[in-house]
Amino acid sequence: MQINKPHNILRLLTLFLAVLAFFSGCAHQRVDNSPAVPSFAQKSHKANLSAADQAMSEYKEDSDDDFLDDELDDDFLDDELDEDSDTSFKDSEEKIRLSDPLAPWNRVMFRFNDKLYFWVLKPVAKGYKAVTPAAVRLGIRNFFRNLTTPIRVVNCIFQGKFHTAELEIARFLINSTVGVLGLGDVAKNNPKFDRPPEEDLGQTLGVYGIGNGFYIVWPLAGPSTLRDSAGIIGDMFLNPITYVDMPPGSGAGITAFETVNETSFRIGDYEAIKDAAIEPYEAFRDAYLQYREKKVRNREEGETERRYDNLIRKWIK
Amino acid sequence: MKRIIPVLLLLLVALPGPAHSSDPMDAVRGPIDEVINTLKDPQYQGDAQKEVQREKIWKIIRELFDFKKISSLALGNYRKKFSPQELKEFTDHFSRLLEDTYLDKIQAEYRNEKVIYLSQKIGSGKKADKALVKTKITRESVEIPVNYKMWLNNGIWRVYDVKVEGVSLVKNYRNQFQKILLNNPPAHLIEKVRKKVEKRKEKKADADK
Repeated sequence: MQINKPHNILRLLTLFLAVLAFFSGCAHQRVDNSPAVPSFAQKSHKANLSAADQAMSEYKEDSDDDFLDDELDDDFLDDELDEDSDTSFKDSEEKIRLSDPLAPWNRVMFRFNDKLYFWVLKPVAKGYKAVTPAAVRLGIRNFFRNLTTPIRVVNCIFQGKFHTAELEIARFLINSTVGVLGLGDVAKNNPKFDRPPEEDLGQTLGVYGIGNGFYIVWPLAGPSTLRDSAGIIGDMFLNPITYVDMPPGSGAGITAFETVNETSFRIGDYEAIKDAAIEPYEAFRDAYLQYREKKVRNREEGETERRYDNLIRKWIK
Repeated sequence: MKRIIPVLLLLLVALPGPAHSSDPMDAVRGPIDEVINTLKDPQYQGDAQKEVQREKIWKIIRELFDFKKISSLALGNYRKKFSPQELKEFTDHFSRLLEDTYLDKIQAEYRNEKVIYLSQKIGSGKKADKALVKTKITRESVEIPVNYKMWLNNGIWRVYDVKVEGVSLVKNYRNQFQKILLNNPPAHLIEKVRKKVEKRKEKKADADK
């Protein structure tokens, strides 16, 4: 069978990338080595400062004015509002920087993707949007989301989010039957079955303490990190589309179609961020990092007796 | 004497002004709803009215958002390198950039988005002057979580950071500015921001021709 060989290679690749991510990720999680991304030097990391940063650190100790101390900036920018919240969790986050050793390549890819968006993706998505009613586009989006349920279920389970996993399965059943093969998201009509945040392997690896590794911008696929890229490859094994016997190249066609459909909802978002940015490359890199961090930190809502996701996090620490 | 009290009460009620409520969510809800009403207002639909509409929206936004704090936080550690004069210049240009970019976009693309106010949380103890208001913006069945971080200054709750889908505006700009300020003086950044505002104005003027 033709399918086996590429799968074996993919399997090896995933393993290799995951191992690489594990080792490089742990090393990069707290200290930023890249000259292109200076970090707000933590007191504990003074040893790693370059000369320029050394000069900066002289400005830091200013206890008079609350707001100018970098650490008290955190008072403004931190998410935890309670004094006695789980501060140990907060400490372990620290200032996660993303190292960017492949910056030259990434910048080229960034420009390439930028052109691709304006010259190809956006016009196609606009045209598609003009001729396709919103209901149809929504249906297609629901269909693809429904198909990728196994990915989310497995990753929820690995993260200890059993309640969410149940929810995903319930939604899958409802939408595949009543919703006709997932075209309709009828489940969300019941507020208890609202679409939960999507989990993927990159996030699961993150929950288990695997660092991002480094930033990488793929042509077409866009920004990612070493860990998240390994996650994408791993998730392909859980994607039903991978297993359907298809003429070669149609996998790419399906992905392209899905991308165009998804973009038809978000035309203008990319331009807005780019427009507002002084340094677009850094803006998108940071936005991507913040976005993924938020997703990794996502906890299950509600009180449940056995919070496995919390247990996993405590264990990781 | 008896007449004075109702008159005084009337005056109190009639006093306009920013949200003096001690409720962060109300402090956000009022202005945002007003902005949406302005966007929906049929009297501003003509092109000629767009400037007036924009001015009105900008006035509301300027009261709700503490641009001085936003600019200062966006500079992070590097703000110590700025003289008071430079800081003011930077705040002006940066606020202008945010105004131009986001107001243009909101004005052009508003299509009955709905804002749903989800929750508010005020800090405890030392952080009692900070609050987080969570909202959701629905557009074409896409839901975008937007959180406002607020602080209580002189009895008024004002916004100092906006997080869209988990991405903090302040942190994002701080990251961009770090790169510039690491090897350049403050004047360089101010110039960059100013140039960007200029470019947008030119592009807009061209597009309007």
